[in-house]
Amino acid sequence: MIQTLIELLRTGTATQEELFPDLPAWNRGLPTVTQTPCAAEEGCAACAEACPTEAIGVTAERSGGRVALDLGRCIACGECGTACPTGTIQGDRSTRTAKRRREDLVLRNYPDERMADSGPAVSSPFRRSLHIREVSTGDNASDLEVAAANNPIFDASRFGVHFVASPRFADALLVTGPVARAMREPLLRCYGAMADPRTVIAVGAPAISGGLHRGGYAQAEGVDAVLPVAVYVPGSPPHPWCILHGILLAMGHPLAAAGRPPGTARPPRRDGQEG
Amino acid sequence: MSIPHRETRWLTGGRVTRVPLASFGPRLEGWIAEGGRLGLLTACALPEEPGFALVVLVLDPARHTMELWEAPLVSADGSFPSVTPGVPQAHWFERAIYDLFGLKPEGHPRFKSVILHEAWPEGFYPLRHSEPRLNERNPPRSEYWFLRVSGEGVYEIPVGPIHAGIIEPGHFRFSCLGEMIENLEIRLGYQHRGIEHQLTKVPWPRARFLAEAASSDTAVGNAWAHALAVEQLTDVEPPALAQDLRAVALEIERMASHIGDLGGLCSDIGFAAGAAVFGCMRGRALGLGERLAGSRLQTCYVLPGGVARGLAGSDRRQLARDVRELEAAFERAEPLLMENAGALERMEGTGRLRRSLAVDFGLVGPAARASGVQYDVREAFPQPSHWKVDWKAASGVDGDVLARARIRVDETRSSLSMIAALLDDLPEGGDYCVPMPGTLRPRAAGVGVVEAWRGELIHLILTDDAGRIRRYCIKDPSFNNWTGLSIAARGELVADFPLCNKSFGLSYSGNDL
Repeated sequence: MIQTLIELLRTGTATQEELFPDLPAWNRGLPTVTQTPCAAEEGCAACAEACPTEAIGVTAERSGGRVALDLGRCIACGECGTACPTGTIQGDRSTRTAKRRREDLVLRNYPDERMADSGPAVSSPFRRSLHIREVSTGDNASDLEVAAANNPIFDASRFGVHFVASPRFADALLVTGPVARAMREPLLRCYGAMADPRTVIAVGAPAISGGLHRGGYAQAEGVDAVLPVAVYVPGSPPHPWCILHGILLAMGHPLAAAGRPPGTARPPRRDGQEG
Repeated sequence: MSIPHRETRWLTGGRVTRVPLASFGPRLEGWIAEGGRLGLLTACALPEEPGFALVVLVLDPARHTMELWEAPLVSADGSFPSVTPGVPQAHWFERAIYDLFGLKPEGHPRFKSVILHEAWPEGFYPLRHSEPRLNERNPPRSEYWFLRVSGEGVYEIPVGPIHAGIIEPGHFRFSCLGEMIENLEIRLGYQHRGIEHQLTKVPWPRARFLAEAASSDTAVGNAWAHALAVEQLTDVEPPALAQDLRAVALEIERMASHIGDLGGLCSDIGFAAGAAVFGCMRGRALGLGERLAGSRLQTCYVLPGGVARGLAGSDRRQLARDVRELEAAFERAEPLLMENAGALERMEGTGRLRRSLAVDFGLVGPAARASGVQYDVREAFPQPSHWKVDWKAASGVDGDVLARARIRVDETRSSLSMIAALLDDLPEGGDYCVPMPGTLRPRAAGVGVVEAWRGELIHLILTDDAGRIRRYCIKDPSFNNWTGLSIAARGELVADFPLCNKSFGLSYSGNDL
């Protein structure tokens, strides 16, 4: 016991103060679409062809190549960035990646009426505290990163975020995995056991779109085929900072202001971070 | 080690031996009696004619050999004689064959579904036809029956599929007398996503992403087993640098997972300080994976032909420093749990699994080694990098939670030292990947067997006339080991179940596919 106390005192505070830092340079991050002109006019669709989840659409217009990249399907494999000959697709190491609307996950290098601002944050009853019930449906890597968001480094509890054992205690249902057929009923029952006000957070590409499992006989199309989703956290799996960002977004927390506008990726940080 | 040096093609040429169905059972029993084990038992449609065959991968760790057998079924109704009465470790494999193919193992002592339950309609066997025929008008599959324990005061506790923590879904049916567990029946299948079928539909160069997703917390293990199977079908030899980087990635995955689970063990006994210390340390361990592979869980890194990226000298040196620091941190943290009287009191003697049962049910990985089953794929079927370093597989005897925790501790240490040794001796320069040909060998088999962090993980690929994947079978180590948990929980307090569960630390999604 004394040893434990000594070790704890020696370690001191592990909690990282800076919130939502960029991922280090050696992390692939998620792809983003920049304003660098694309070669679609010359018939290039290398990014779309390289993508394992058909997340990318490319069209050639007179004004230049148009690329639409759906982060909700993206498994962060990095193949599109590697394949892109013009550098139009780059890695983005931001951890402020969560979105409230499904369509906001689609990155474009051209203006689109769907990119209109989704408006100011709706006032949320969860501003000061959110009790979360986690349900896993087939993406245990995302479960690990959700659990990590509770460790002392990320310390979700400092924002009043607690993971609870029963939907009866919960304000939010956080779902990972593609929600294949056999988890549909358990998930609906879990949501049904929650009292209003309640909210749903989808974490990871499988939860948002079914990911790689989309289109199979198991009918694994993601959470919003089954429940109304309030916040989407892209990634495969998303980093604990990204998950925390999504949770705070669901709370309407001012620290989770929406991520940077598309096409304004900053150069990656050079130093590393623990956690 | 008396193994042909540099031999990595354990299944030379991907040969498949045809075995008559009538002699299949005795042949398998004979193989096991000689010290071998059943790797996987599945079925597949015959390529040229209507009908099905059983497909079996058997391994002999002591003799470092593997064989692949195929036994065409003969009966008109597609049933076959169950081998489970003589080979208990086949029990879940045969039930899965029924779920996926509709082929019935006659004489199976506990015949019922294992993957597909009431959520699916009757008559739906997803791998029986090349396109699954889901008929929603059919009634749901008949209700699964749980083993009933009768007697005065015996009651059932059903737990799940959704559990109280941040954990995957599965159903545990406890039969209890007071606080003691008389019987535990585990029913999984909630996360069945149809991966094996989808792997026959995607273009094979894309299959690696789906193969990793079988159990996404074992990205490196699954990716490497997949790569080995594909490389066998294309006669591609990855370069020496890639071999070493793969081995480093696998050991990072192993020790990061073990460190995380040691923290989980602390949580499950209410030892918050230990959970905090190991939880933070897991983050540092994942940082190594992030630097090597570009993501914390090392996704999309190992692929057929090698690995996705090289390792710059500066990153290699930083990794080596990080490993040394992590080793020191681990040595400080380990006694907090392993010398804590309260923790030892909880772990010692809890959830004991006898060696004979571990052998009978073909358990693998740390859980098996803790019960005295000395099998580690890295020793029995080593990859080239495993010869380069001086290491030994962990071993134990007591088979309780403490023994399983000790194996995890030993493996963490040996993984860290293997990583350091491999980084120290990486080939100078050289490719990290070689190109793959356009097609896989037709009418052939490829096998990848890897010691993933939970144990022996197998990917089996069978190709058709055109070199397309006609059957993809994945055997996760958890598919063997869930039975071990249900045995170990007997006679334990319900309150000790989370501890028993975490000491096995199994994958639900890897089981379900």
